[in-house]
Amino acid sequence: MAALRRIKDKIKKVIEKKKKIKVAKASSAKIKKKSIIKQIIKKEPLRKEQEILGQEEVAVEKTKFSHPEIPRPSLRIMSHDLPWGYGKDKIVLQVRDPRWLHAYWEVTNNTWDRFKRDLQGKFNGAKMTLRVYDVTNIVFNGANANSFFDIELSYGANNWYIDTNGPGRFWCVDLGLKLPNGEFITIVRSNTVCTPLEGPSWITDEEWMIPEEMFGRLYGLGFGLGQTSPLGKAWQERVKKLLFSGALASPGMASMASPVKKVPKERKFWLVVDCELIVYGATEPDAKVTVQNREIKLRPDGTFTLRFALPNGEQVIPVKAVSSDELEERTITPIVTRETKTASLLKEAVQKSE
Amino acid sequence: MHKGYLCLVLHTHLPFVRHPEHDDFLEEDWLYEAITETYIPLLGVFEKLAEDGVDFRVTVSLTPSLISMLSDQLLQERYLKHINRLIELAHKEIERTAWQPQFQHLAIMYLNHFCKARQTFEKYNRNLVAGFKNLQDAGKIEIITCGATHGYFPLMDVCRDSIKAQVRVAASHYENVFGRRPRGIWLPECGYYPGHDEILKETGIKFFFSDAHGVLHGTPRPKYGTFAPVYCKGTGVACFARDLESSKQVWSSIEGYPGDYNYREFYRDIGFDLEYDYIKPYIHPDGVRINTGIKYYRITGTGDHKEPYNPEWAKARAAEHAGNFMFNRQKQVEYLHDFLHKKPIIVSPYDAELYGHWWYEGPMWLDFLIRKIAFDQKEIRMITPSEYLAENPRNQVITPSMSSWGWKGYSEMWLQGSTDWIYRHLHSASERMTELAKSFPDTNGLHRRALNQALRELLLAQSSDWAFIMGTGTHTSYAVRRTKDHLLRFTRLYEDIKSNSLDEAWLSDIEYKDNIFPNIDYRVHQ
Repeated sequence: MAALRRIKDKIKKVIEKKKKIKVAKASSAKIKKKSIIKQIIKKEPLRKEQEILGQEEVAVEKTKFSHPEIPRPSLRIMSHDLPWGYGKDKIVLQVRDPRWLHAYWEVTNNTWDRFKRDLQGKFNGAKMTLRVYDVTNIVFNGANANSFFDIELSYGANNWYIDTNGPGRFWCVDLGLKLPNGEFITIVRSNTVCTPLEGPSWITDEEWMIPEEMFGRLYGLGFGLGQTSPLGKAWQERVKKLLFSGALASPGMASMASPVKKVPKERKFWLVVDCELIVYGATEPDAKVTVQNREIKLRPDGTFTLRFALPNGEQVIPVKAVSSDELEERTITPIVTRETKTASLLKEAVQKSE
Repeated sequence: MHKGYLCLVLHTHLPFVRHPEHDDFLEEDWLYEAITETYIPLLGVFEKLAEDGVDFRVTVSLTPSLISMLSDQLLQERYLKHINRLIELAHKEIERTAWQPQFQHLAIMYLNHFCKARQTFEKYNRNLVAGFKNLQDAGKIEIITCGATHGYFPLMDVCRDSIKAQVRVAASHYENVFGRRPRGIWLPECGYYPGHDEILKETGIKFFFSDAHGVLHGTPRPKYGTFAPVYCKGTGVACFARDLESSKQVWSSIEGYPGDYNYREFYRDIGFDLEYDYIKPYIHPDGVRINTGIKYYRITGTGDHKEPYNPEWAKARAAEHAGNFMFNRQKQVEYLHDFLHKKPIIVSPYDAELYGHWWYEGPMWLDFLIRKIAFDQKEIRMITPSEYLAENPRNQVITPSMSSWGWKGYSEMWLQGSTDWIYRHLHSASERMTELAKSFPDTNGLHRRALNQALRELLLAQSSDWAFIMGTGTHTSYAVRRTKDHLLRFTRLYEDIKSNSLDEAWLSDIEYKDNIFPNIDYRVHQ
């Protein structure tokens, strides 16, 4: 049956689980904020193709929270963690984007026991399954779905991302048991959700009629793709490709943080050196002291400390103290010269061993 | 005669971060940095414009959580301490850079900047909200509200009572602060899901914003694309769509202005660059290096080599970029006017923190832009959504499409492997809150306090910021902790209320810590 084959194909496509996402995430964690600024200053129009809707907003919003993590052993003491469940049989369906849904569920032990009891021997061969119904334009009664497909769940799963491949449609999901003979037994039914359209609606408004060509142009303009546009469908395809799905088959931030293609790995070794100079001394607490002809403030005990960033070259630093009765004067002048030499070396052996 | 409108929107938000139980709390710096680098400079720009008699309109969303922090006495005192420390550091920097004039004049610039910030802060008796209110009362800016704690509505659709609470709490908070009901709302993260406009309508809200595809993919087709608002079918709440062309000019990493080589480099901060013992008193007390806000370099180029910042060059570029932005809007408006036979509205929303914090020259750019629009051209008129709707009451009715301005345009930023675990808890807590609100239609004393606190905890747990930070994958522990803390506090309150075993000392403690929305009424959650 064609329908069955389609369902099977879908099941193949559907499987995207936490593990996969975690891999994507692990690699994204490495991306330092520096990479954001690097993107910003890269001025390569060719990269335009890689832009994803919302990524700049993410990059900027991220800088609002730009702090390193501080180890905090006990911020506030919590004696317990969040519960595993809330004691209810429940499945909740949410829309992630025009194609993907997310479902999470909870089944209580009592319910499991009941199924075990009722199904007896058949229970062990049963597979936990999600049955995804297309319920567009109908009042769903459990048996009248436009179509459905099944997803066999891995053991212990309590949530799943579902690829419906069906923008602009209504969906409802049953969590259930699929018996070896193919029979499906519903444990709990979800809420109904509607995926958004992936492109413009086909429905036009009589009162607010707009010619196809004109809308095509407005559509491109609305996405900031300029005025000199081919019309109609071409734009829609481009928008879909560029902004929404594009090459981004998997979720995770990796693609957000690096629209710029990775350059082959360079060695990241680096060294920064700078110099500062501390000039310090002491005199009578009531004396008047100038350093490079600028008056400075003494500490109550007559000591002083000055700190300077020291550039290359010679610094002549006359320190003059005048007694409070202005009868005595002392000057001491340190002269400091800074010179900086640099050398770098990349050993052949190191290069080869990598 | 003008041919179109420009509606600039600044979305101004930070999550509620306030830890009276600690003397110094790193994440509170988000607020202090934003005050110094964004909120005060923006207020400065707007006030000067008003003072100079420049006619302008900007729409500003101030989120209830941000308003709450700006009005909080403890955080105000801490900000003062923070800015005083920065002033001290700037003084030291002027001395330290005596032999490096290329840096010393920047140290002086920062000193002036910080002193000005302190002065502005004190001028408003430490409450900057007053500054924004004055501008609204003068008709220059329109302040709109947002979800009470910036909960992301599309992922709250299964518990609409919580969306109602987010909107109702926000509206009454707005009314307390500004003396009238809010006319518009910035949906957190621009997240729209069909039907949520019913909740807005019920609260008296007349308009919101969506991303471009929210309207372009709406049903039926929008006749004017993103260049006129639409009314939501069934409710008549207006939806203004973001214009991506103007957005990209500012946001984009590729074409955007903030990446100009003459602009200040965000990532070279003396908190990281200077010798440890010297900078230690000005970084985190645990000794972890953090940004101080003093940054001496310009972007320079793509490499690691950075040249000293030159404020004159940067200013010239900001003026040029403002001119470029205006020129492009003029062209856009002229073209659209001929094409549509109607005056288009270009809606350009930005995160306010983009200006000043991320893009140091942003407030200056805004100042140039507004002045140029006022004096140098005739095609564009700045407008607020309220004014637009008053002048253009007839608009098409459609059902906008689910959308957000987040990564990839929908909900994935907040619903991915690292964040999906939170929703079962958030949704259950929401169901429980409704249960509580329904079982206690009228109560008082300790019970009432506990019920109100339960709603506070729930709202705080719902901030989209926590999922956002978890989603970025860096420095996530605070966000995880906040989500859990509020949920755990909520759960305990729920259980204690149900079993009638409230612990007043504990309740007082969390009331003291999570003191947002003192006038909250738990009964809005149903």
